[in-house]
Amino acid sequence: MEDLADAARARGEVDGGTAPDPVNAAMVRHWLQAMGDTAAPYLDEGLAPPAMLQVWTMPGPDGGPRPSAVDTVLAGLDARGCTGVVATDCTQAYDRPLRMGETPRAATRFSSLRGPKSTAMGRGYFLTWDTTWYCGEERVGTMTFRVLKFDPATRPEPRAPGSAPGGTPEAPPPPPPRTADTAFFWDGAAAGELRIRRCADCGTLRHPPGPLCPACRSAAADHVTASGEGTVHSYTVHHHPPVPGRTAPFAVALVDLPEGVRVVGAVTGADPADVRVGMPVRADFARGGAEPPRWRPADQVPLPALELELTRTSVTAQALATRDFTPVHHDPDRARAQGARDVFLNILTTQGLVQRYATAHRPGARVRRIAVRLGAPAHAGDTLVLTGTDRPREGRVDVRGTTSLGRHVTATVDLEDR
Amino acid sequence: MKAVTATKAVIAGIGATGFSKDSGRSETRLAADAALDALADAGISPEEVDGMATFTMDPTSEIALAREIGAGALRFFTRVPYGGGAACGAVAQAAMAAASGTADVVLVYRAFNERSGRRYGRAVPQDGAPTGAPASQALELGWHVPAGLATPAAWAALPARRYMHEYGATGEDFGRVAVQMRANAATNPRAWFHRRPITLEEHQASRWVAEPLRLLDCCQESDGGVALVVVGARRARSLPRPPAVIEAAAQGSGAGQLTMVDFYRDDIAALPEMAAVAERLWADSGLGPGDMDAAILYDHFTPYVLMQLEALGYCKRGQAPALVADGRIGPGGDLPVNPHGGQLGEAYIHGMNGIAEAVRQLRGTAANQVPGAGHVLVTAGTGVPTSGLVLGAYS
Repeated sequence: MEDLADAARARGEVDGGTAPDPVNAAMVRHWLQAMGDTAAPYLDEGLAPPAMLQVWTMPGPDGGPRPSAVDTVLAGLDARGCTGVVATDCTQAYDRPLRMGETPRAATRFSSLRGPKSTAMGRGYFLTWDTTWYCGEERVGTMTFRVLKFDPATRPEPRAPGSAPGGTPEAPPPPPPRTADTAFFWDGAAAGELRIRRCADCGTLRHPPGPLCPACRSAAADHVTASGEGTVHSYTVHHHPPVPGRTAPFAVALVDLPEGVRVVGAVTGADPADVRVGMPVRADFARGGAEPPRWRPADQVPLPALELELTRTSVTAQALATRDFTPVHHDPDRARAQGARDVFLNILTTQGLVQRYATAHRPGARVRRIAVRLGAPAHAGDTLVLTGTDRPREGRVDVRGTTSLGRHVTATVDLEDR
Repeated sequence: MKAVTATKAVIAGIGATGFSKDSGRSETRLAADAALDALADAGISPEEVDGMATFTMDPTSEIALAREIGAGALRFFTRVPYGGGAACGAVAQAAMAAASGTADVVLVYRAFNERSGRRYGRAVPQDGAPTGAPASQALELGWHVPAGLATPAAWAALPARRYMHEYGATGEDFGRVAVQMRANAATNPRAWFHRRPITLEEHQASRWVAEPLRLLDCCQESDGGVALVVVGARRARSLPRPPAVIEAAAQGSGAGQLTMVDFYRDDIAALPEMAAVAERLWADSGLGPGDMDAAILYDHFTPYVLMQLEALGYCKRGQAPALVADGRIGPGGDLPVNPHGGQLGEAYIHGMNGIAEAVRQLRGTAANQVPGAGHVLVTAGTGVPTSGLVLGAYS
C-alpha cells in the first residue's frame, strides 16, 4: 500500500475540473428544503450556504469521470478487499461565501494513509486528502476529508451492550454514596437542580450537608435551589494517574456560589488550560445525579435540542440534494449489504444539518468553518437529536448529534458576526 | 497546664527495614523486622512489650505483631486515624500510656508495601475510602471522587492552587522545596534517592500529576517499615543509647475539617490543623519556633511544606517561599528541614521515618547531622487532622 500512497502523493494537486453548473437558486432552494433550513436568508442574499461547498463539484449519478488524487489509492484498497467505506472526519473552511453565478473548481491533494487498523467496522485503512475550491485563481474554500476503507468480511461480532472488549462485563461506576442526610442533593442533581441544605430553624446554608446544622444544632432542614452561577475558587488539571471514566487531562473546580457555600465539580466545555481562579461558571446537569453538577464557563449558552425524525424519504432527498448518489444513502438493500440497518445519512447532509442547527441560534453570523467527526450511523427510522453549546467568546458553537445507537456526530462550527 | 506527656516519656529506640520499591516481604514481616530492630536499639527484650500504637491504615494488627516478636500480654493498644496525620499522634498516645503507667513498653509501628502493593497515589474507588476508614469518610470522598477528584495529589492541588493565587507563589517556589529535600537525601545512605539530587530545571521539566503539582512535587511511594519504642522517663537512665525526650506531643484538627478534601473553610491556603498542633506544642514544651535546631516537616506534597512553615510560626502567611529561597531550610540555615531528605528523598513511611530521623539528630548520629541539635520539631501529614512532636536531647 505504501507505494500506492507514495505515488498518489507524488501527483501533487490534481485538478478535478469545474462544477457542471454555476451556483444557482434551484439547487440552493432544493438543498435548503432537504435540510429543513428554509428560513435561512441565503437566497435573498444571492449566496450559497457554506456547507454546500462540496455539492457543486460532486460527481453525478454516473460517478464521473472526475479525476482525484485519491482514486488510485481507493481502487488499490478495493482490490485488497477493503470495499466498504465510511467517512470519519471532515473539516471545511470557507474563505468567503460563493455567489450565484460563480462556477467553482475543485482540486485534490493526497495527504496520508494509515493502517491497517482494527476498527468496529473491520480491518481497514484511514485515508486522508485535502480538497481546495477555486473561483478563477481565487481560493474560496478548503476541506480535509478522512475516510475509513475497510474489509466488511473482517467486521468483528457486535458487542453486547454494557460489555467490554474480551467479553468481561464492564460494571457501570457505582453511584455516589448517599444517606438520608444527602439524598436531596443527588435527587436535585438528577432533576437539574443544585440544592443546598438549609437549616429550617436558623436558615444557615451548608455544603457538604450533614444531619445537623452546625450553627444551631437543629436537625430540621430543607433546601434552597442555587442559582447555578458560581466563581472558581480553586481548581486542578488532572493528568496522572488514570481516573476511571475520565480522559486526562481534565479540570475539576472548587466553586464559590453566591449563596455562600462551595461545591466541587468537573469542568466541562472549556480547555483545561483556560480554567482560572475567579472564572465565572454555571452549573451543567448533563450527567444527572451520577456526579455533582459540572461547571461550564458562564459565557457559554446551552442551546435547545432539535429532534429530527429520519425517514427513507428524508435521507434519500438529502442525499440527492447534496448530489451524493452512493447507494447506501438511497437503496436499503445496498445499505444492508454493507452491514447497515437501513439507508443512512451521508456526511454532506450531516454537515448541512450541523450548519442549520448552529446558525439558527446565531442569525446573521457568517459560517467560517465546520468540523465534524462521525460516530454511529444515523439510519432511516431513527431520530437524530442535535444539542449544542454556544461559546460566543470563542465565536464557536459545539454541536452534538445523537441517535439510538449513540453519538452520530461531534462538530464545531466557527461563526463570525457580520 | 502541661499535658501529661511532657518530659514524662521518651523514645528509647528506633528501628527500620530498608526502604525500597519492592520489599519482597509481607507487610507483617516488615513490621516485625522494624520492631525487633527498634527493641534491639533500645536494649529492651520483646517479651517486655506490653503496649502497641499504630495507624488505622496499618495492615498488621497489634496482636499479629505481638505474636511474631514474641511479646507478652498486651495491656494497651490503640490506632490513630487520618492517614499520615497519625504519625506523631501514635507517639503521643504511646507517651500518654507510658507516662501514666498504663503500659511500660509501647511499640509504635508502621509498615507497608506501599509501592509494590496497594499504591496510595492511585485513584480511589468512586464509592470507596481508605481501608478501615469510617463510613462518614467515604461520604466525604463521595462529594469529590465522582467529580474526578480521585487522588491525594488532586486533593492537595486545590489548596496549592489557591495558595499560588493568594500569595503569588510559583511552581518554582514548590520546586525549591523538592530540590532541597533531594539534596539532603543525596548524602543520606538510607535514602532511596541517595546520590540522586535534582535541579530546579529538572523539577520544572517533570511531568504534571495534578496541576499545579508536578511529579517531583509529590513524595515517593515506598515499601518499608519503621518502629519506635516509647517508655516512661524513669527508665531513661538505664537505656544503652540516649533516648529522645518527648517534650510535647499534640494532635489537632481544624474547625469543620474534612480529610484531604477540606475545601469548605474560609481559607484553604492555610493549615489550621497544624496551627492548632503548633499552639499546643509551644505551650506544652515552653519552647518556641526559634528554639528548634531542626524540623522534620511532613513533605507528601511540596506546597504543604510551605504552608506548614507558616502555620508553625516560622514566617507570616505567604512568606514561606521567600524563606525557602533564602536557603533557611537547608544545612546551615536557621531551620534545617528534613536533613534525611524527607519523604520526597528518603522514603514515604507515612511520617514515621522522620520521627526516627529526629531521634538520630538528637543522638548526634544522623547522616546529615545538625551540629549540637538539642530540640527537633516533627510534624505529621497535613490536609488531614494531624499531629506533632517536640523532641529534646536527653541529658
